Order: sequence, then structure tokens, then C-alpha cells
Amino acid sequence: MQLTVRRNHYVELAGLVFILNLGFSAASADVVAVVSAASPITALSKTEVVDIFLGKRTRFPDGSSAVPIDQTEGSSVREDFYSKFAAMSPAQLKAFWSKIIFTGRGQPPSSVATNGDLKKLLLANPKTIGYMDQSMVDSTLKVILAP
Amino acid sequence: MKLSPPRVIFVALLTGPSCALASAAVDAGAGTPLFSFSAFGTLGEVHSSQDMADFTDSVFQPNGAGYTHSWSATVDSLIGAQLTANILPILSAVVQVIVEQNYDGTFRPHVEWANIKYQFTPDMSVRVGRSVLPTFLFSDTRNVGYTYPWVRPPVEVYSQLPLTECDGVDFSARIRSGNLSNTLQGNVGQSSVQQPQDKGTAYTRDAFGVSDTTEYEFFTLRLSYWHTHLIIAGVDPFLDTFRLFGLPGIVIANEYESDYKVVATEVIGASYDPGHWFVMSEWAHTKFNSFLGDRRGWYVSGGYRAGQFTPYATYAEASANSNSDPGLTLSALPSALVGFAAGLNVGLNALLQQSIPEQKTLTAGARWDFMKNVDLKLQIDHTRAGAESFGTLVNVQPGLRPGSTVNLFSATLNFVY
Repeated sequence: MQLTVRRNHYVELAGLVFILNLGFSAASADVVAVVSAASPITALSKTEVVDIFLGKRTRFPDGSSAVPIDQTEGSSVREDFYSKFAAMSPAQLKAFWSKIIFTGRGQPPSSVATNGDLKKLLLANPKTIGYMDQSMVDSTLKVILAP
Repeated sequence: MKLSPPRVIFVALLTGPSCALASAAVDAGAGTPLFSFSAFGTLGEVHSSQDMADFTDSVFQPNGAGYTHSWSATVDSLIGAQLTANILPILSAVVQVIVEQNYDGTFRPHVEWANIKYQFTPDMSVRVGRSVLPTFLFSDTRNVGYTYPWVRPPVEVYSQLPLTECDGVDFSARIRSGNLSNTLQGNVGQSSVQQPQDKGTAYTRDAFGVSDTTEYEFFTLRLSYWHTHLIIAGVDPFLDTFRLFGLPGIVIANEYESDYKVVATEVIGASYDPGHWFVMSEWAHTKFNSFLGDRRGWYVSGGYRAGQFTPYATYAEASANSNSDPGLTLSALPSALVGFAAGLNVGLNALLQQSIPEQKTLTAGARWDFMKNVDLKLQIDHTRAGAESFGTLVNVQPGLRPGSTVNLFSATLNFVY
């Protein structure tokens, strides 16, 4: 398992002076994007995966329709996924979807509560795509993007 | 699944012409609930240093911070609720209701949007009903404070076209090539908005607009054009008085009346947002062909996301070709009419001065995402009105000089559900 420790210090001045110390953020194991082993998809770029989850792309590169499945809001794997692949914090992600929802242009992907539920959906439908901790991936699934 | 009667009817109506598309979409939309409810809101307070006029967010607000209230909660506060009915994967309906201070000071809820969307393909749709006018980068969710970094979008640009909705038909089509995507939106329709202070209703008629949004990785570019005919009858009784003076007066009345006059707006907006920081800029030009003038506005804004804090700064300008007129030539008039004509000229210039703002604003603030789905924003604006303008201030009291400065302090709490 790869363990990375990032230390960020930011000092920002803006009208009112805010001095912030973010301190440490210890990252967990790597999150990977997965599909069913039965899916014809072999690899996707980071942009392709992010676009599918943000509703900007509705199809895989081969033209078949893509159905993203999110993990529960607030889960660490979800925060990890969006922070590593899309450079978005939970608040940024919420703001992004609010823009879509409050113009009636769409809804965020449906989400599952556990890795087990995600696996079931991925295996039942080869069009679905999800993400999970690398250590949870077994032979029924296929990693199509790793950080 | 048991289909309720309305759903059966929709299925019967829709599966005929678009059977293949519908079945493709059904797969993709599996698991979508029939109804989804969302809500948003802002609680805000604004204080203005200028007590001889009101700062407002829009010309449709009857009063604001400064003259009417030292601290105003009504400039930014609102609550909105939205119900989306996913009747079929290709057919949905949305109703959004907003409660905020209305033109007459009441808080009656009003329907902001109510439309039915038919999704031909995942990338192409048509909406019928009341929909958003997608003029500016942040037009789509102007009412949802949670979706943008500032307390409010810069008034120098956004007050140029305060309308947010259009009753009619709009379409949206998206094409994609690699990491580049392009969304073309078009709309035709009309709208009616009540104005405060007994100024009557403003009508837009036979309007059409086109908005093209290009996204490439972190970069977004939006080009918009909107064309309408604007009817504001409230100024007619005053301007018609000029007609008593024959041809020179008729020319003035015709120039400044807004009686089905063509209004054309062009907007260029761009943003770059790689995640930890962002910059954005918009430029807008609206030619009203009436007492509302020929106006330009632009801003540039940037911010940095440091964990839960997003400090930002903005510079914005609004300018106009002219906000004055020489009026009737007094020397050409019989002496008995000079006094009356001079009074009309003063009235005309007061109308233009208050209708066509010129100002510059420097803004600094910070957004704090302190809990899930809720943010707190604090913002300071320093505005200087143009030398012959009161800026965007309304309810200007006698004694306020053009070219004055205003300092605003704003605090808002924004949420989405």
C-alpha cells in the first residue's frame, strides 16, 4: 500500500485577512475506476472517467452507453475519487451538481452504500462503471483507471 | 412495475415515434426515482455606507441597503424549491418556486421555472414552458448562491439584463470530440416582469436567443446573443409631453421611448477552473434603443481554494455611450415655453442618469464551506459611480451627488438540499 503524506501551508489575503493552516491530510489507499470483467472496455483516460461521472459524457469511447454509479455522499472513497481524479472537494462537487439540478438539466449518478452493492450492479450490467479502493477489486472486476 | 394512468398515456404518446431512442434511454436511466425534490436558499445581510440611495441586486427590487434600511436582509435572501418529475427517461417536468422580496414589497412565492423537457437523445433536448435565459456564465443558477464563489454575480454585468426567465421553447444540443464539448442552446419566447415604484410591467416580446458553450478540460467559453422587443409603458406619459413641441420633441420622444424597441445583448464569458484556483471574466454589451441606453459591462475575478476557504477578488466596470441629452433647444422656443421646456430637459436627463449606470467596483471576499451543503460568505465592495452617474443605486434621494462612492459589507449563508 502506498502511503502519501501531503503538507500544505497556504496564506491568503483577501479583504478580510484569513490566515489558514491546513496542516496534514493523510491519503488512504488508491482508489481505482472499475467495470465488470465482462465489459469490452479495457482502459479510459482520467478525463473520460471524470466526464462520465459528471454527466458530461454519456457514452464510452466505443459508443456504448455508460452508466456511472457513485459511492455514498460523505464516504472517504468518494471524496478520494473526486479529489484525485477531478481535483474537486465535496463542496465543489455539490456546487457543480447544484448547477445542473437547479436548471433541470440532470441529476447526479445514483449511489450505493457499500462496495458489495456496487459489485452487484457492475456485474449485473456491463454498461455500469464505478470506483472503489484498489484492495477491494477481485477477478470479476476490471480496473480501467488507476492514479 | 405498475404504471399509473398518466404514465400509461405518456408511454402511449411517446413510444410510437421514438421507440428505439426510448428503449436506449430506459437502460441508462434505470433506478431514477419518479419525483426528486431539491431546495436552495440564501440568508443575507447587506450594509451600505451610502444612506442617500439604495443598493439592490436587481432593478426589480423595490428597496435595499442604504436609504431604506441601514442593513438589508432582502437584497440577497431567498428560498427556492424545485420538484422534478421523471415521467419517463426521455420526458421530465420541472417546477421551481422562489420566495423573495417582490417588486411590491410582498413575499408571495412566484414560479421561476415550469417546463416539460423531451430528451431526444442524452445529448439533445427540447423544453417547453418557462425556462432559464442562459445569457451569462452564471445565469443558469443566479438564484442559487451555493453554486458560485461570490455573494452575488457582479452587478456591473448582471444588472444589464436582469431577466432570468423566458416563456417559450428552448432546445439544447451537445456535440463532443475528444475532450472538447460544445453545447448549443437556443430559445424563443417572451416574458413579463412587474417593476417596482408603480413603473408598471416590462414586457419582452418576440424574443430569441442563442448561447454556445465550449468546454475543454478546465476551460469554459460561452458566447451569447439575445434579441428581443422591449415594452415599458411607464415612461410614456413623461416622454409624450415632448411631442407637444413638434418635430424636435417628437424625435426625442421616439428616441427614448421603449415601445416595442429592439434590444440586443452580446455576451462573451470565459472561465478557467483547474480545482485549486479559478479565474473568470465576462464582457457584455446591450443596446436598448431607448432611455435604458447603450451599455457595456465587464469584470474579471479570481480566487484560490485553500481547504474550506475560498478567498476571491473581483474588478468590475459598467459604462455607457451616453447618459445625457441636450434635450429641446431652448433658444428656438417662444419665451413663454422656455421655462416648461427647460423643466422637461431636466426631467429627461434625470431619467437617463438614473436608468443608465456607470460605475467601477473592487470586491474582495471569502467563501467558507464550513459544513456539508452550507457555506458562509463575507464580502466587501468598494464602488465609485461614474462622474455623471449614480451607478446602479436606486431610490436616489435629493442631495446625492453623481460620482459618489459606496462601500458595502455583505454576509450570506447559502445552502442546497
